Amino acid sequence: MKKTIRVLIAKPGLDGHDRGALVVSQALRDYGMEVIYTGLRQTPEQIAAAAVQEDVDAIGLSCLSGAHNELFPEVMRLLHEKGADDIIVVGGGVIPWEDIPFLESKGIQKVFTPGTPTIETAKFIEQAVYKRDGITEEVFSGVAPERIDHIGIAVKSLDEALPFYVNVLGLTLEAIEEVPSQKVKVAFIKIGETRLELLEALTAESPVAQFIEKRGQGVHHVALGVTNIQDRIDEMKANGIKMIHDAAVPGAGGASVAFMHPSSTHKVLFELCEKTKSKEEAK
Amino acid sequence: MDKQQRIKEWQEKTAQSMNRFPERKERFHTSSDIEVERLYGTEDEHYPMESLGLPGEYPYTRGSQSTMYRARFWTMRQYAGFGSAEETNKRFRYLLDQGQTGLSVAFDLPTQIGYDSDHSMSRGEVGKVGVAIDSIEDMEALLKDIPLDKVSTSMTINAPASVLLAMYIAVAEKQGVAPEKLSGTIQNDILKEYIARGTYIFPPKPSMRLITDIFGYCQEFVPKWNTISISGYHIREAGANAAQELAFTIANGLAYVDAAIEAGLHIDDFAPRLAFFFNAHNQFFEEVAKFRAARRMWAKLMKEHYGAKNPKSWQLRFHTQTGGSTLTAQQPDNNIVRVTTQALSAVLGGTQSLHTNSRDEALALPTEDSARIALRTQQILAHETGVADTVDPLAGSYYVEHLTDELERKANEYIEKINQMGGAVAAVEQGYMQREIHHTSYETQKKIESGQEIIVGMNKFSIENEPQPELLRVDPTLGEKQKEKLQALKAKRDQNRVSAQLESLRAAAKGDDNLMPIIVECVKSYCTIGEICGVLREEFGEYTGV
Repeated sequence: MKKTIRVLIAKPGLDGHDRGALVVSQALRDYGMEVIYTGLRQTPEQIAAAAVQEDVDAIGLSCLSGAHNELFPEVMRLLHEKGADDIIVVGGGVIPWEDIPFLESKGIQKVFTPGTPTIETAKFIEQAVYKRDGITEEVFSGVAPERIDHIGIAVKSLDEALPFYVNVLGLTLEAIEEVPSQKVKVAFIKIGETRLELLEALTAESPVAQFIEKRGQGVHHVALGVTNIQDRIDEMKANGIKMIHDAAVPGAGGASVAFMHPSSTHKVLFELCEKTKSKEEAK
Repeated sequence: MDKQQRIKEWQEKTAQSMNRFPERKERFHTSSDIEVERLYGTEDEHYPMESLGLPGEYPYTRGSQSTMYRARFWTMRQYAGFGSAEETNKRFRYLLDQGQTGLSVAFDLPTQIGYDSDHSMSRGEVGKVGVAIDSIEDMEALLKDIPLDKVSTSMTINAPASVLLAMYIAVAEKQGVAPEKLSGTIQNDILKEYIARGTYIFPPKPSMRLITDIFGYCQEFVPKWNTISISGYHIREAGANAAQELAFTIANGLAYVDAAIEAGLHIDDFAPRLAFFFNAHNQFFEEVAKFRAARRMWAKLMKEHYGAKNPKSWQLRFHTQTGGSTLTAQQPDNNIVRVTTQALSAVLGGTQSLHTNSRDEALALPTEDSARIALRTQQILAHETGVADTVDPLAGSYYVEHLTDELERKANEYIEKINQMGGAVAAVEQGYMQREIHHTSYETQKKIESGQEIIVGMNKFSIENEPQPELLRVDPTLGEKQKEKLQALKAKRDQNRVSAQLESLRAAAKGDDNLMPIIVECVKSYCTIGEICGVLREEFGEYTGV
C-alpha cells in the first residue's frame, strides 16, 4: 500500500447497535488501515472534531436508528466549517434506499447497505483516498488475462512422472514435444479447460534444469492466456514489471510466450501465453 | 420416588389443573385421525426422568406447564411503536383487533436513554425506533382506550425502567385500575445494555440498585408484574452464538439474583417474577435445544444453588423474538421463510410469548402490511400445523437431546469462567463478554464473505436489479411537534411541585431508600423523564463504556 490510510469509524446519535461498526473496524484494520473507533453516542460535533484531531483520511458513519438524514449531513456541515472537506465520508447501517440520493447530495460518497462485503468497503475507501491524493498508478488500464492457459511443473524425468498423472490421476496425455527455445521437452496433460505442462530439461543449461538444481522438482510457472501478446508485454513494462522476454518467443504448441521476472511478481514465475486460434475455434 | 408413581401423580395433578385451565379441544387428532396424546415418551422404561422430568415439573426441560399449548397458545406479542404516542396507540389497537393478545412497546432512543425530546442529544432520534415519551401525558395518549386490567404489556425499557413503570402505574390509576391488577413486563436488564445493546445511563452499581428497588416495590404493590426480562436477544444480535447467548444470559440472571439477595430480598419473593427473553436464529434444532437447556439450567441453579423452595422460582419463563440480524435487505420476502422456521423453533422449544419479525426490518421500520404478515405467520403455526397439539414433541430425539446436553455443558463452562472473574458485573466491566461476542461476530462475517456460510439471496442466489419495496416513513416533523408539546406541558404544570419532587428524588438517591415510590410521585407531578433521569445522572454519574 502506498500510504497507511487512517479511518475514523463513528456512531452518531443514540443508537447502540455497534456490531457492524466493530466488524467494519476490524476488517479495515485487517486490510491494513489504521482505524479509530469512537464508541457509542457521539454528537456530530465530537465526530468532526475527532476526525480533524486524528487527521484521518476517511470517516465511516454507522447508524441503525433512522436518524441518519439529520446526523450525517450535520457531520458534513461541521467538517466543511472546519475546512476538512477533503475527508472522505461513507455511511452504513439500516438506511432506506430512498434516502441514499439525499445523503449523497450532502457529500456522503457512498452508503453501504446491509449485506455489503467488508472488502468492498475497504476497496472503496482506498480508491477514494488514492483518487483524492492523486495516486493513480494502482489504477488498472490494460487488458486482463483471460484464463490460466496451463500450469508448468518441473520434473526430472517425464517417463517417471507421467504414470502418476495418467494412471493414477486418470488424466489424458495430449502431446509431448520439444521446445528448443527453452531447451525443454514438455508433456501436455489436459484437465478441464486448462492443462498441466510437465517440463523435463534437455540440457544442463536449460532454465528448468537450473530450477530443479536450486529448488527441486515442483510447480514451476503459471501461464496466463492473453491476446495481442506484444501489447501485453508493453503494458507490463509500462507498469514497471521486469520481463525476462521483452518480445514474445515461440513456446510449445505453436504459442507465443514471454516470461515475467519473479522479482516483480511477488515470487511467482508467470508466463504470458498467446495461442493462435485452432482451426476448430476459428470456425 | 418411583418413576411410575411420579408419572401417576403428574397425571393426577394435570387432570386437576385442567379443571381450571381446560385444553383447547376435547380431543386432539391428526388428519388421519390418529389420536394425539398430551405427552409421549414416559411409556419408555428407559425414560430419562432425571434430566427431562415431566412438563411443568423440575427441571422443566419439557416445558414450564403440564399441558403447554394444548391449553393455551403462546402469547402473540408484536413489538411495535414509532412516532407519536397517538400514532402508536392506533397501531396497538389495530394489532389487538387483528387478534394479538399482548402489547409490546418500543420506545424511541431518547426515552430509552432518559433524555427529553428537546435535549440536544435527541436530535434526529425522536420517534424513530419507537414512541417518544416525555411525560405521563404521552403515556396517557399511548394507552388511551386500552383496558390495562385485561391486556398485558411488555415495555422494552432498561436504564429508566422505573420511570416508565411509574408512568404505567399512574396512568392505570387514572383509568381506575389498581396496581395489583396490572400484568406485564419491563425489560430492566442493564447488564446486556453494557454488553450488547447500548442504552445504558448510569454505572453498574446504582443501576443494580434501581433494579432491586423495582423488585422490592413490585413484590409489594404490583405482584403480577414481571420485574425484569433477562435478555439474551441482544447478545445474540450483537454476534454471539447460541451457547454464548445462553451462557451470558444466565450469568446476568445470576448477577440480578445475587444483587437482590444482597439488598435483603428473599429468593422466593422475587425469583417467580423474573422473566427471560431469547432469540430464535436459523439453526433450527440448536435453537430448540437452547430453549430446553435454558429451562433446565435455571431450575437447577435456583433449586440447588440458591435453595429456592417455590417451584415458580425454578421456572424459566421466556419471550422469544426471531433473529433480526438474520434478515437480509436483499430479496426481503425471503425473510418471511426465515421468520417462519425461527418461530417454529421457539414454539417447539416451549416459549411463553413470541414476536415474529417483519420481512422489511433490514430496510426500515415495518409497514403495516409487513407487520400483519409477521403476525399471521404465528397464527398459521398455531392454528394450521398442529405443532402445538402435544407437549415438547422433539423430546427423545437423539440429536435434540444431545444438543440440549452439549449447550448446557458449553454454557456452564462460560458461566464458570465468569464466576471466577467475580460474576457478570465484573466480567462486563472487564469487557469479557463484549470481546467474546465480537470475536464470534467477526468470524461469522468472514465465513459469510468467503462463502463458507451461505445466506440465500445475499452471497448466493442473488438477483440483479431488485425491486425496491414500499417502506414506512416516520413523520419528519415529529421531533418539532414533540418539542412543542413538551414546552406546552412545562408552561402549564405546577412548577413548584415539580421542583419539590425532584429535590426529594435527589435526597432519596443519596440515601438507600427504595426509589420507586418517589419516582411514582415525580411522574404524577408531571416531571419529565429527562428531569428525573437528569437528577439521577447528577447523583449517580454516567457510564461511559469499557
